Amino acid sequence: MSDMHLALHGLAIKKHASPKDIAEIVGMDAERVASLLAEAESRGRVARAGGKFMLTAPAQVALRSEYSRVYADQRSSSAMNAAYDDFEKVNILLKQLITDWQTMDIGGERLPNDHSNKDRDEKIIGRLGDLHERSEPILKRMAAGLPRLGVYLELLTVALEKAEYGAIKWVSDARIASYHTVWFEMHEDLLRALGRERVE
Amino acid sequence: MGSHGHQWVIRLDGSVLPDRSLIGGKAWSVARMMSLGLPVPPAFVVTTEACKAFLADGSFSAELQAQIADGMADLEKRTGRSFGRGDRPLLVSVRSGAPVSMPGMMDTILNLGITPDTEMALAVECGDPAFACDVHRRFFDLYAHIVLKAGVVDFAKDGNAESWNGQVVVATGSPLPVTASERLLAAVRAVFDSWNSRRATRYREHHGIPHDLGTAVTVQAMVFGNLDNRSGTGVLFSRNPSTGDLRPFGEYLACAQGEDIVSGKFTPDTLETMKTKVPAAYELLMASSVTLERENGDVQDIEFTVQNGELFLLQSRSAKRAPAAAIRIAVDMAREGAISEETALDRITPEQVRLILAPRLADGQSNNAKVLASGEGACPGVGRGIVVTSCNEAEARAKAGEAVILARPTTSPEDVHGMLAAKAIITEAGGSTSHAAVVSRALGLPCVVGCGPGSLESLSGRIVTVDGALGRIFEGALDVVIPDETLDERLTVLSQWAKARSRLTIYRPSEAPLENVIDLNTVEGGEDPNQLPHLIRGYRGARGGAIASDEGIRAALQEKLEFVVGEPVLALVIAAIRSQTTAAAREVRAAETAHS
Repeated sequence: MSDMHLALHGLAIKKHASPKDIAEIVGMDAERVASLLAEAESRGRVARAGGKFMLTAPAQVALRSEYSRVYADQRSSSAMNAAYDDFEKVNILLKQLITDWQTMDIGGERLPNDHSNKDRDEKIIGRLGDLHERSEPILKRMAAGLPRLGVYLELLTVALEKAEYGAIKWVSDARIASYHTVWFEMHEDLLRALGRERVE
Repeated sequence: MGSHGHQWVIRLDGSVLPDRSLIGGKAWSVARMMSLGLPVPPAFVVTTEACKAFLADGSFSAELQAQIADGMADLEKRTGRSFGRGDRPLLVSVRSGAPVSMPGMMDTILNLGITPDTEMALAVECGDPAFACDVHRRFFDLYAHIVLKAGVVDFAKDGNAESWNGQVVVATGSPLPVTASERLLAAVRAVFDSWNSRRATRYREHHGIPHDLGTAVTVQAMVFGNLDNRSGTGVLFSRNPSTGDLRPFGEYLACAQGEDIVSGKFTPDTLETMKTKVPAAYELLMASSVTLERENGDVQDIEFTVQNGELFLLQSRSAKRAPAAAIRIAVDMAREGAISEETALDRITPEQVRLILAPRLADGQSNNAKVLASGEGACPGVGRGIVVTSCNEAEARAKAGEAVILARPTTSPEDVHGMLAAKAIITEAGGSTSHAAVVSRALGLPCVVGCGPGSLESLSGRIVTVDGALGRIFEGALDVVIPDETLDERLTVLSQWAKARSRLTIYRPSEAPLENVIDLNTVEGGEDPNQLPHLIRGYRGARGGAIASDEGIRAALQEKLEFVVGEPVLALVIAAIRSQTTAAAREVRAAETAHS
């Protein structure tokens, strides 16, 4: 797979991002990503706004059409597909866990979790840690078939540790590389690479 | 058990309250409830000393094994049941309990003691073979995941010990130990091992907690609420967690186990049912609720089970509560003299104040309005604006100053930038755990999900009002009101207590001084909390931008401003007090309240 494809793929997942954001998930250095995006800009494949980039509509279509060729090996690998099926199982647990994190059931009514109950928060972060450990072997199996996926496990571990040490916004804040943000980006990456559909 | 060389196992019976560092937090709270004369299932604890000996040389000595066996014999005597055999089987829970709680420690194992033989005995005793089978299956599930680390294995509901054991062999290479006693020892060992799990070790390093404290293991008899009509299970709140009302509030389900209430499969009855069916247990529960609230200095959420007419308290902890209830409870308890004004303020977060003072539909607005679509309310709040169906359009129009509502079939990470620009999010597919639901809650944006395929496309370009609590999308821009914090008696009292303790004055916009004030709405970077310190330096006061946030208040205190302008005033004063007071000081206060 070409570096250009990878840079644009990273941009597709991040949607609206700086070279540094993209470099972090695709495992290239930020300068290389910046020069690739500059080249893509000159060919009308990306648009720049401030320090951030976006894919143009034709580039989106072109990118999607390349996946089946770039990831042909992974798509035909039974080990990769089996690992992804296991990932879908933990994905359901993760989604439920994040919902438990964000909401609380009071007298039968579901309200936003205002994070005033520290014990409850700690318990859910404890569950997140357990789920992380259950997911780890699955992510490693997938990274065996596509090594660049390994970066997500690192980013997830960073977010988990921050949450465990008391910075609770690292569980699900959508503005930062929180556990949920990284998880969802990883999921999007997998869907694109393996040609699967998201199940809501 | 005292005749041995080491005392590695301690019987919990309320006669003494052993040192927390020796028995861990879990066992300590069990022992404390017992010492208050409250009915708790009998238990013993394997001490942190035993753990230390194990960690030092990996030995699980014959002496320790003998003491655990003695502990089980004592539990058998106290419950009149037998472990791993007999007509009335004794099942136990096994949980870790370090002196300080930390992540990475082993989760609780339930139903230990169930075997093919005791499953049959339990089936006869409760008259429900399906229940006994499920007890067995849950045990396999917990034991395989927690002790054997078997990964993702689904144990089929219609399986049996043999088929489940087969799955365990496939996943881990060997079956479960055969006898209940062997399983108990393995579970205790697994708790000890979890002390050195990667996460626990990392956590201790980060927080400077010594590595040699060790963890204790609590082994407690399980009780069953489904044995007969004089059995049951329930939860009790010492005050109403939705409203803060003084009267205890609870639910009871006769002839059922705890998970039946949680599962939502059954509709629980009120406490009146309990009063009729098991009056003595009911009276004891009410008295226990008073004791626990007084001793812990906070509203309690109590899980209980009634077994053959006898009450057992399983757990009691500070209750989670709705924001309005939190305000009422804090003020009421301070007025009752149960807690200090400082503690009352510690218990209120700025977020709770913002939630109860969030804009809402004016009275009667929703009655006559036309409902254009409806789904599941995923995040409460009201948002008004024009519906757009593309994230790029949402971002562009929001930048131009328009209020937009983002409508999507579903959302994915690439939609987050559009969601950030919207006043509300609505989707056609997905439930409360969908991406749209999760992200909107993280952003505090009103959100309705699952309105149905094709239901939103036609709304494009129309002005709507989204009510994320009701899960409805109304036609047009309905009237919205912001509740007035000065009209609520308890909020006013809290404000007075808070203002007396805050180093920073908070003004409503209409009352604020005008001289030497920076308006951050007019300054580049004023929306970025990180830039605030240097932007506000040297002014008397600040308004606009990001100042009315928790980070903004922290910056204002750090730069020694006199005042900040913003609303709700109470949320900002509380943010100021929390910034002035370290988390450690708040924790000390909480601990003092609980033990006074």
